Amino acid sequence: MTLFSDSITIAKREMLVFKSNLRTNIIRSLMFPLIIILFFGNLGTSVSNVPVAVVNLANNQISTQFINALQGQNMINILTLTNQETALSLLQNGEVTAIITIAPTFPQNQNGNPSVYVYYSNSQFSTVSAILPFIEGTASNFGSAIQQKQQQTAPIVSSNPTTGASSNYRDFIIASVIIMATAFGSIFGSGFSIIVDRQLGTIKSFLVAPINKDAILLGKLLAGTVQSLLYGILALCLGFVFGAGIAMGVIGFLWIIALIFFVSLSFNAIALIVASRIKTVELYAIVAQAITLPTWFLSGAFFPASSFPAFIQPFSIGDPLTYATSGIRDVMLSGYFPLSHIVTDFSIMIIFSLIIVIMSFRLFKSTID
Amino acid sequence: MNDSAVDIKNIKKTFGTFQAVKGISFNIKKGEIFGILGPNGAGKTTTLNMILGLLKPTSGSITIEGYDNVEDSLKVKQLIGFMTQETVVDGYLSARDNLTIFAKLYHVPENEIEKRVNKALEDANLKEFANKAAGTFSGGMQRRLNLVKSMLQEPSILILDEPTTGLDVQSRVGMWDSIRKLNDKGITVILTTQYLEESDALCDRIAIIDHGEIKAIGTASELKRMVSEGNVLEITLKPEDVDKATKIISNKFKLKLSVEGDIIKGDIQKDSMGLSIKIAQYLEKEKIHVLAYSVHLPTMDDVFIKLTGASFRDSTSSENVASQARFRR
Repeated sequence: MTLFSDSITIAKREMLVFKSNLRTNIIRSLMFPLIIILFFGNLGTSVSNVPVAVVNLANNQISTQFINALQGQNMINILTLTNQETALSLLQNGEVTAIITIAPTFPQNQNGNPSVYVYYSNSQFSTVSAILPFIEGTASNFGSAIQQKQQQTAPIVSSNPTTGASSNYRDFIIASVIIMATAFGSIFGSGFSIIVDRQLGTIKSFLVAPINKDAILLGKLLAGTVQSLLYGILALCLGFVFGAGIAMGVIGFLWIIALIFFVSLSFNAIALIVASRIKTVELYAIVAQAITLPTWFLSGAFFPASSFPAFIQPFSIGDPLTYATSGIRDVMLSGYFPLSHIVTDFSIMIIFSLIIVIMSFRLFKSTID
Repeated sequence: MNDSAVDIKNIKKTFGTFQAVKGISFNIKKGEIFGILGPNGAGKTTTLNMILGLLKPTSGSITIEGYDNVEDSLKVKQLIGFMTQETVVDGYLSARDNLTIFAKLYHVPENEIEKRVNKALEDANLKEFANKAAGTFSGGMQRRLNLVKSMLQEPSILILDEPTTGLDVQSRVGMWDSIRKLNDKGITVILTTQYLEESDALCDRIAIIDHGEIKAIGTASELKRMVSEGNVLEITLKPEDVDKATKIISNKFKLKLSVEGDIIKGDIQKDSMGLSIKIAQYLEKEKIHVLAYSVHLPTMDDVFIKLTGASFRDSTSSENVASQARFRR
């Protein structure tokens, strides 16, 4: 049982060191999330006069009203009314950002097919994601007007890819910012701490003490997990400051804590395995970035993982952060956490953490130089 | 058996193809101050790390107060207090926190921790700085904190790796004083040092290690007698006179000489004073201007140079190369 009490002693020491640098640690952990939210979170929110081409295949009175309504706001600027072929070449030449095609059946949806189509190039995704809600909203206005005339369904706007149901990009990106703060905090925090402790000789003085070397690992793992969990929660609070919310409420908050706990645990264990085998801070910084950046991007940090090209998809599926991120998005954006997602997300996170923690006990090297 | 604190039998340590320690045996008695001396890369630190249980010997055995240091490593670690060469204090933590953490790691009974920490702060003269961050302390204060930290579990053996390297003269003398006081209480002290006068002033016995082997072991005066039964003659000359003077003295007086820069050194056997005066007179007759002339008993410097050679060794020597090789594997 001394293993456990020795680990607690070491964890306490780590927390004291953490506490003495509290301000620096917090600023460092919030800097990157803040920049991301400020720069990316506001992408597209203030777009105006986005050039679009309209292809009106319905050519009826209501479709003309719809077009007038679209043009009536400053959001989009209809450059031309044309046929599909010309519109596509305009899109390819970059003269318009999107094409709005009104199907012949407008405003009726036929056989569940949408009656308004939005075409755009992936490179313009961020702008388009800002105007999509506007197009959707305008189309559904016509849907509700028509409903009085006994129409069954409102027109459906088809677009692909989208950022999710009723969200803006900022809310979308906050989930990945939380994951980033947690995962980066783990990899950099625990990793640097072990290398610096080795360089200063602290590891040596732990090793000459009558304790099991696993206590060093376990103590650092415990303290590191608590610290990066804290970073994740801080990033969430930063999200609140910028207007994000948790659609699921308090229960959702608990789900988020649970998800980032497993991210903290597993990524701290990875950091300890890797850093215990690397001598210098400089080399570790390179390795740490090689670990954090791909796993973060692959998790669908900036756009949905489903829109990755086919050859990247398997990597995204194999990335544990994908599941943590999508879980947080379910909770924050959709407002409900489907049972099937809970099972997938948590079983993957738990199994991954278990494997990595067990591996860390085998692979942690307590070298002194 | 019972009066030996550390018993080392033929330990070897190999890193890859590099043999850092080539079969060392020695015995340290309870209550003595034992010095390990050697140039950089000689195998001092490797030997110390094996005694501490940080490295496993490739072969051979180390017994600490009757316990095998591999099989009973936890028991052995409890018996040994260790002060590292790097001054290991947590700079961000207070002196008190530094001590409390190590008291816990050495399993000092919970109800005694506070008492011992207070006592340690008093011993180190740091009572009024107890709650200050240790990083703000001077080098000497940090070293004192480190020393009392290694004594928290009340060990019977204290190992000090270069305890005074980098300290100013006052702090060094203070450190010697503390070490002697601990030794007076019956604690066995093992230290490595690169200061020869330190080993001379402090140690009961000294082992000189080089190239992974023990070159000599004994009390300071025993070692000095190995260099010369008599005295050491040192003559400092103008550089242009050195060659001429060397020839004259070695031909006329049949002395074996060594030359270091503008200093000529030679051993003079018993009945030395007569001879040394004759040499001085002869040099004057030959019109060789002598800048300084001294006859003295051998110092630890003489012993060290004689046993390990005079050449400089920098620290990127074999031992570091070996540890890098180990890292890559």
